Amino acid sequence: MSEIRIEKLHFSYGMHSEVLKGLDFTIDERSTAIVGQNGAGKTTFVKLLKGLLRPSSGRILLDGKDIALSTAAGLAARIGMVFQNPNDQIFKNTVLDEVMFGPLQIGMSWEEAHKRSMDALSMTGLQDLEEKNPYDMGLSARKLIAVASVLAMHTDIVIFDEPTIAQDYVGKERIKRIIRELRREGRTVITIIHDMDFVAEVFERVIVFADGKMLLDDSAARVFADRKALEAACLEQPNVTRLCRELGYEGVFLDVEELVEKIRPLMGKNTDESK
Amino acid sequence: MKSISLYEEKGTMLNRTAPESKLCYILAAVAVPALTGNRWAGIAFTVCSLVLLLAGRVLRKALPMAAVSGFVLLTVVVIQGMFRAGNATPVFSAGPVVFYREGLSYALHIVCNIMNILLGFCVLVLTTKPSDLIENLVRRGFSPRFGYVFVSVFQIIPQMTETMSTITDAQRSRGMETEGSLFTRIKAFIPLISPVVMSSLVNTRERALALEARGFASRRKKTFLNEETKTAADRYIQIVCLLMTAAALVWRIAAWLT
Repeated sequence: MSEIRIEKLHFSYGMHSEVLKGLDFTIDERSTAIVGQNGAGKTTFVKLLKGLLRPSSGRILLDGKDIALSTAAGLAARIGMVFQNPNDQIFKNTVLDEVMFGPLQIGMSWEEAHKRSMDALSMTGLQDLEEKNPYDMGLSARKLIAVASVLAMHTDIVIFDEPTIAQDYVGKERIKRIIRELRREGRTVITIIHDMDFVAEVFERVIVFADGKMLLDDSAARVFADRKALEAACLEQPNVTRLCRELGYEGVFLDVEELVEKIRPLMGKNTDESK
Repeated sequence: MKSISLYEEKGTMLNRTAPESKLCYILAAVAVPALTGNRWAGIAFTVCSLVLLLAGRVLRKALPMAAVSGFVLLTVVVIQGMFRAGNATPVFSAGPVVFYREGLSYALHIVCNIMNILLGFCVLVLTTKPSDLIENLVRRGFSPRFGYVFVSVFQIIPQMTETMSTITDAQRSRGMETEGSLFTRIKAFIPLISPVVMSSLVNTRERALALEARGFASRRKKTFLNEETKTAADRYIQIVCLLMTAAALVWRIAAWLT
């Protein structure tokens, strides 16, 4: 279990535009979604976590150790990050080679890298495609290759930047399963995401960024209950939550099953007939 | 996105002048001294360019360029001044090194020519938005296809630099060292360059499709998004510059014939 402690973190590009204006929190074992308007500083924040950028001031402590002391490549064995655009990383001619690149870079033996990569491929549903050329595959498949190539590195912490982009229902379900699986294995999952329905269904903790500051930090249920704060951050409630609010139900519903359980008894006769 | 163009909008007269006028000016500034062979013509145009740059408030940006070529020109002065074939009249000596009048005079000629050309182009480059220049040329019948190619260079290079830095980040995240010894950097080359090339190829195709979807190849007469940059003085500037060039040409031909 890894703990990431963020202390008075400030960051600015150049002299004038401060992007992060003092962040202070701890990321624990809960799966965490970072949400917020474009330009709120989400991507900058995860780049700092990954050591790709250096803070202007403040510190990020990974299990008590300042990450400023290691290089991005050095952190790779601890923190994996899936970039938004898979085309930014794919360069090998077969899926398997691409996925094995990371594990080999962080010093795994060939056998271990191969085994981890095959596991990652089956987790992402790409088994049997390992000899294909990634460039012959569509964007959603390439995105899953990027996910697999980070999973194969078997890092304690996995960061996703917009994992659901370009994914259809099946792809989203798969990513949902992957995140839950990682959580079960006790690995820390941090995700930047705009898809509120997905957040409500999958994540335990939601951190809302607005204009370089943390606006809310709580369980998904509490965050999505706070409509005013969400509006201030230019975010919407998940569809199910909105529907229930419009219907005047008490409480906050985060996914369809919850809602169905609540309204099935009320529907009474109708649902019985349909059965 | 960072621009690679040297242009800066300052709202000056030179910014508003039509790009073609500046092209005509460059033509005259280069052709007149070359055709007449008169050193004073070159000096006059150099001074004129300096005044224009000053009036356009871009002289400060032209200076570094002049300084870089100035360094090269200094070596020309030294070499020609000391060793030019036909050097006969010593002007001055610094220890064992003697500079000759003939060589220095020749070197001065080169310096004048280069400074003249350099500053002449600065007048255009520092005060003209590349897309305005191309658009005006397309208005005058230049092929839109080539026009697009020229303009896109100004977009694609910064875009590729940006892609390159994202890709570097992505590969560093996978444990690849991109900094350090020469060997480390060479090893990092393939993983970095292949996605750049692949994504530029993909982007190019997408861009071509997007352009076509908006009727790029249509043969209809097109209108332009931006208003033409020109001022009342433009016509006169162009006429004067072209007349000067023509006069120099006539003078040259007449000199040959007699």
